Amino acid sequence: MPTVTINQKSLTVPEGTTIIQAAEQLNIEIPRYCYHPGLSIAGSCRMCLVEIEKMPKLQPACNTRVTDGMVVTTQSPKVKEAVSGVLEFLLINHPLDCPVCDQAGECYLQEYYMKFGLHDSRMNENKIKRHKAEVIGPHVILDTERCVLCSRCVRFVREVSRSHEIGIFNRGGQSEIRLLPDQVLDNNYSGNVVDICPVGALTDRDFRFQCRVWYLSKADSVCNGCSRGCNITVEANRQRAHHGEGRRVMRLKPRFNKEVNRWWICDIGRYGYKFIDDPSRLIQPLEKQGDELEPLDWSTAAERAVGRIREAKQRGGAGSIVIVASPQLTNEDLFVTRKFFGVDLGIDQIDFRIPDKNTLSDDDFLLRADRNPNTRGAEAILLDGGGFDLQRIIESASTQSFGLLYLCEQDLVKKLGSEPARRFLGQFDYVIYQGSNENETSGLANLVLPAATYAEVNGTFTNFEGRVQRIHAGIEPLGDSLPAWRVICKLAQTAGFDYGYESAAEVFVELAQTVTEFEGLSYEKIGSEGMKLPETQPVPA
Amino acid sequence: MISDRLLAEFDSIVRNYPVRRSALIPILLTTQEHLGYLSDESIAAIARYLNLPAIDVYEVVTFYSMLRRHPVGKHHIQVCTNISCLLLGGEEIFERVSKRLGIKEGETTSDGQFSLAEVECLGACCNAPAMQVNYTYYNDLTAEKVDQILQALQKPEER
Repeated sequence: MPTVTINQKSLTVPEGTTIIQAAEQLNIEIPRYCYHPGLSIAGSCRMCLVEIEKMPKLQPACNTRVTDGMVVTTQSPKVKEAVSGVLEFLLINHPLDCPVCDQAGECYLQEYYMKFGLHDSRMNENKIKRHKAEVIGPHVILDTERCVLCSRCVRFVREVSRSHEIGIFNRGGQSEIRLLPDQVLDNNYSGNVVDICPVGALTDRDFRFQCRVWYLSKADSVCNGCSRGCNITVEANRQRAHHGEGRRVMRLKPRFNKEVNRWWICDIGRYGYKFIDDPSRLIQPLEKQGDELEPLDWSTAAERAVGRIREAKQRGGAGSIVIVASPQLTNEDLFVTRKFFGVDLGIDQIDFRIPDKNTLSDDDFLLRADRNPNTRGAEAILLDGGGFDLQRIIESASTQSFGLLYLCEQDLVKKLGSEPARRFLGQFDYVIYQGSNENETSGLANLVLPAATYAEVNGTFTNFEGRVQRIHAGIEPLGDSLPAWRVICKLAQTAGFDYGYESAAEVFVELAQTVTEFEGLSYEKIGSEGMKLPETQPVPA
Repeated sequence: MISDRLLAEFDSIVRNYPVRRSALIPILLTTQEHLGYLSDESIAAIARYLNLPAIDVYEVVTFYSMLRRHPVGKHHIQVCTNISCLLLGGEEIFERVSKRLGIKEGETTSDGQFSLAEVECLGACCNAPAMQVNYTYYNDLTAEKVDQILQALQKPEER
């Protein structure tokens, strides 16, 4: 393995490592526009030029491989002059419209100008005018005047999405990013080109002009859009909510995880966060009075729920109660659900599997047909007793009547269709709905308990491969809504079971001690990259 | 849209290259010779023929100025205004052609007979000023010579 010295620091790296990769390991910053670790090497922007001992000319660090004994400097006057010169060329035709540019604050022209440029413009000629603010697809807008022609987006559509919409047209000073005549950038991964664009050339139509990036708070989380469990950052406007008409979550960004999603997420996941701040959010407990749902306070609601559960149990036994959990809930939520209903109340009719009439499919990349983040966790936590089959009750269309249904975070009307959903709900004397958003199903319930969304809670999801990954609350639960596990704790307390959990972390400790598949796991071990359940079988698609 | 005859030519061009996509530029030139320019339709057909994404073909077509995306006149006049020709009156030659035909750079006469382009070096510096009509070179140009050339080109159509 070759040993390289960069700025007097030595490092031994595997054969084939490039200088830019070695420098990254040494925490030495080498500026770059075209280089992206997820794409092929273009070597075209010339920002990463470095000086190598015994080489007469500067070399690009992105496509020069380390050899044994190589001595590199990124600090010599020769390098500084070259990098500053490259930047000056890139800025020649730049419109300098930072005050109205959405990229400002996370723009590598700004960043590198402050670090490596700081020169005055020597450009006396007129700047070349180009296409500005062109809508090129459902999610992306293109400003060719700001483009530095790094070709990251071109390589992305060639190599990652393989959709081939973008190319560099024309030559020399006239070169610019274009699409085929009459074509749009419309594939399920289009949002990624905005992430990888180092400048303000490609911006996100959804996020554009909604919030300056320096007002955003960031929380590490996991996408709830499918069972892949892509790692994301939930970016919220916490201080200036009055600017977004109550919209707190401003965007989701992919977070690198080598084993799950690398640098990417799909558009379905990326733009699937709107429900979090939607007016349909349930923000207080509701009880059906006639045809209307009337607000309640939490303690009354908990008493009502527990009273109804006790009544149903006394009248028809535990067999007259059905608990429908949800693969949208965290492992912690599901564990507390099982503990209260299953262990302490002795209800064994617990399931989470609702047949879905909407046929969804995998794409051949990240998106999975199962659009739930925690199916694997729900199986591990709820089904290890086995036996109860909810699907049979739903599909048999029997007239058997039950006492009470406790339904979590599942829109039965949407999944089963209106008529079958109403028939199923009609089999129960009393229906409690626990969920984050109002929907047709919640409207049919007798009691509604407001739950927080995944962006508002700490916990873990288990993806289809059995990888347990942590999510962190990026914002507070809206209104009086509570994390699902806290809702259940409230009911348990009312019923006389005090679990005493202070946090999701405490729930997880007990979960790992109780559920065999989670044995030995802890938040520390899971870390930011997740950890696979030991000895686990992947769920078939 | 791509005739069988043209397709046969493609087949023989492709045989000259170990990698199929290497035949792209010769195929573009051949198509342009036959059809006058490279339409969106032709480009799509060529991309399919070579198993290339259409965008790759557009990148090549827009990169080379001699590959045209719009039709030109029957006589495509290209006047050099690069250094040697410029010094010996290339711009005046350009103006002469432009005035006589009543068209500007990049335009085509309404009868579709002539189109005019200003080009960089034609490699004829020793006989500057020079111009090229389709693939025929005209050297050591003067205003009179230009008039004669244009007249000769116009003639057959006047008859």
